[in-house]
Amino acid sequence: MQTSQHGARTEFADLAGSPALDARDEAAAGLAAMAAPDGPTGSASAAGPVLAPASVLAEVAAPRLRVENVSKTFGRHRALREVGLDLLPGEIHALVGQNGCGKSTLAKVLTGYHAPDPGGRVLVDGSPLRLPVRPLEARAAGVAVVHQSLGLVNEATVVENLRVGRFQAGRLSRRIRWGHERAEASALLERLGRSLPLHVPVGTLAEEARAAVAIARALQDASPGRGLIIFDESTRSLGREALEQFYEILDEVVGTGTAVLLISHRLEEVVEAADRVTVLRDGVVVESGLLTAGLRETDLARLVLGRALAGSTRSPAAALAGPASAARSEAAPSVVARGPGPHASPGAPEGQRAAGPARAAAGEGLIELAGVTGAVATDLSLRLARGEIVGITGLAGSGYDELPYLVTGARRARAGLLSIDGATLALAELDSRAAIAARVVLVPEAREHAGLALDQTIAENVLLPRTGRQRRGLAPVRRDRERSFVKHWINAVDVRPPAPEMTVGKLSGGNQQKVLMAKWLAARPRLLALHEPTQAVDVGARATITAAIRAAAGQGCAVLVAGTDENELALLCDRVLVVQEGRLAAELGGGGVTPEAIVAATYAGGARRLLRPSAARGTTPAAPPDARPDPPEQPGSPQPPAGVSD
Amino acid sequence: MTVTAPEAHRQPGRGRGRDLRRGARAGGQGPHGRGRGQKEWHGHSAGYQGARFAVLTVWALLILVYGLAEPDTFLTTGTFQTIFGSQQALVFLTAALLCTICVGEFVDLSVPYVFGLAAMIVPVLNVQHGWNVWLASLVAIAVATACGAVNGALVVRVGVNTIVVTLGMGTFLLGIALWISHLTAVSGLPSSFSKIALLDVGGLPISFYEGLALMAGLAYVHLATPLGRNMRFVAANREVSRLAGVRVNRLRFGAFVAAGLISGIGGVIATAATGGFDPIVSHSYLMPVFASVFLGTAILQPGRFNALGTLVAVYFLATGILGLQLMGVAAWVSDVFYGGVLVIAVTISTLLHARSS
Repeated sequence: MQTSQHGARTEFADLAGSPALDARDEAAAGLAAMAAPDGPTGSASAAGPVLAPASVLAEVAAPRLRVENVSKTFGRHRALREVGLDLLPGEIHALVGQNGCGKSTLAKVLTGYHAPDPGGRVLVDGSPLRLPVRPLEARAAGVAVVHQSLGLVNEATVVENLRVGRFQAGRLSRRIRWGHERAEASALLERLGRSLPLHVPVGTLAEEARAAVAIARALQDASPGRGLIIFDESTRSLGREALEQFYEILDEVVGTGTAVLLISHRLEEVVEAADRVTVLRDGVVVESGLLTAGLRETDLARLVLGRALAGSTRSPAAALAGPASAARSEAAPSVVARGPGPHASPGAPEGQRAAGPARAAAGEGLIELAGVTGAVATDLSLRLARGEIVGITGLAGSGYDELPYLVTGARRARAGLLSIDGATLALAELDSRAAIAARVVLVPEAREHAGLALDQTIAENVLLPRTGRQRRGLAPVRRDRERSFVKHWINAVDVRPPAPEMTVGKLSGGNQQKVLMAKWLAARPRLLALHEPTQAVDVGARATITAAIRAAAGQGCAVLVAGTDENELALLCDRVLVVQEGRLAAELGGGGVTPEAIVAATYAGGARRLLRPSAARGTTPAAPPDARPDPPEQPGSPQPPAGVSD
Repeated sequence: MTVTAPEAHRQPGRGRGRDLRRGARAGGQGPHGRGRGQKEWHGHSAGYQGARFAVLTVWALLILVYGLAEPDTFLTTGTFQTIFGSQQALVFLTAALLCTICVGEFVDLSVPYVFGLAAMIVPVLNVQHGWNVWLASLVAIAVATACGAVNGALVVRVGVNTIVVTLGMGTFLLGIALWISHLTAVSGLPSSFSKIALLDVGGLPISFYEGLALMAGLAYVHLATPLGRNMRFVAANREVSRLAGVRVNRLRFGAFVAAGLISGIGGVIATAATGGFDPIVSHSYLMPVFASVFLGTAILQPGRFNALGTLVAVYFLATGILGLQLMGVAAWVSDVFYGGVLVIAVTISTLLHARSS
């Protein structure tokens, strides 16, 4: 516990700059900030300076960021070769690619973590930065960074998070001048048009508010109309609603002429929200500044992978999964109207559901959850047939994401029963150990925190559910037997490299997630509960993981997937349940499982909003003439969702 | 279980980019065909091997240097017997500390004082109160185990900070030891009792072998058993372990109890060896125990707390100090040597290890 906290703090201090240096830095930032005489953060004077007049934009011609000929070599491996990139004023420019393609390396070069090979140049607003990038100089030049998962310290308050590394001390007492800090912080938030309580720990805020804090912190370095903000996988844990808020703020920010470099795995998000996209593959730019208008997600996936992606649409996926899928799609009732109440009594017979052939045959294969109640989730009841993949989604805080943890004993439920193969388990007394013994397993969301021990080997991680419950704890482990077991499972999910003795932390994120899948598939689950199984995973690994889940289902395992990614759910699930305020609000089945329908049901019948408000209005003033022809075709536009009744 | 890899698994392999293919090649060779170029394979890189054996090499050099400098006094059986016959207390104490450190409880400061109390109880009960010496030993071990259990209960069940609990417990127990002994050393244990520590086996006291067996046992548990692996996972990530069905709290509690038990046994053996005990002595063990255990992380399994490495560290430090003393350096040298070697050795090992990965 302690070490992890410590780790978070160090990282935090690292990215925020050392407090000892902040006076100098503040001065530098003050020099650089032409628009705001008393420093970039002192623009409290204007109520909405974010919506700056177009005059600000007229004076900028140079790209906000120009990367020229940047290479990076690790040993004999060239992670980046001659990469070039231009960020125009007022655009959201996405950088995409598979894990290991070099985009994080590029981000680390830009933030000063890595020194690039000699020969490259990085220019901000036309003036070159010294290489390797010094974080404080970059900050002074107007480069702000929002790190992975927002980079906030949950235990610290909003004002501390906003001002860390920039605290100003009293002249004599060297005390932090909290009055000044509070004023700065509230001015910042005002600039974003968000008012937040300054003295609550960030961890207690809603996701969207945390996103606002992270953006506000980055913004205080970027004076309006200048500079750029780099978002390095910042949005990976944001749900749809938070994401909309996030892009709403970003839209206002780029509206002033500030540019945004968005590094993301979520191709649909990129297509929807970015103006242009640069694709990296094997450290080489394969597509530079491609307009996203009219670009489809599958086109982008093809560029990222360098090949067509099998299984990225639903129909070929069904073919992939083999014979079981046919039964499953038949089994899924097309549309089932659902109110909050009717399934409260678990045993109640229900004509419509009994009609499916899989269910008729599967008296013994039925898994039933009855009256599951957690912190928010209230009296959730559902049944899963063998081989069925059921998705469960909802807004953040609706309680949908509790379900995987409650049914696997990872979190104690307040009430609820799980019936599986004739045995009934009381969820209020279930712990992980008993759940695993009943072959009910959980693939949790936070891989680093709850999924894998990163400094142990792949083999040991995969074997942990077995060794963890071994009765004869002192009998020697059978290494030869273990080896073939591990080999089998890491091959089944295509871990690269398939090296059992390698430490998990050295794998890419996608491969770590595959190891996590292998670990729990190896427990041979009858019920597999997953939470965001492909979060922050590249497209290739996503396809592999999806296929592995389908294969498990094909062998008769029932699968419960909790997630907010409507595209993933639509791709994977036979049925999707939507939770609102802790209760089941809608069920989508058969042809009704589409991203649009899922979003519509999640937002209580409302249509999916565009991520970028201005993209629809087409009025972003800073857009270069050729950068934004027409609003791009939106996959989730207002068309009424099919197959939802509420 | 035969899950055939779904078609999509194989497909991504083909058009995959360069760096991934590189990875595939690395794995394709299997565990036996690792090329030298696979840097990520820390298990077999030169740096890692260097880190493993650096201290052992220094140990050998040390013996060589002392042997050349003081050939008459150093290269004798007596020296050998002194080094390997005098460190039992430290071996037991480091073993006790390893129990808790290997489940991620970093600083059990109470270990030397639990040891001291157990070592004190035996002569107090036997010499001053006329108890049977074996019964007194059992009581001492039981008390030590109970102290470990109290530590465990407070840290694991209640959740009090480990440093606070064990610092308080250690100080408290030192006080108790001083109280029951009336602030003086108590000796006069029967000489037959000293056989459990001093019985001569092949030139060395039996307690050397007892320490060796204890460390070998710990090493076996850590390296070869599910229990050892679970301990490592609990140290690495408690939440991951809990979700995998490991009984995390039971394991942590058990580690504290085991630490108490081993300290108790060590205390009894130490008091048997000297025929009595001085309560103040337990103080002097605190730093050497931590120094040896941390130095152990630089030996054999770099970066990891490990039993055999710790054992080597104990005798390495003893060699260094004895050699210096034979060369005529005064007693202060032991502290300088302990401290200096600890920092230098662990720094070098960390650097070698970092370069290898």
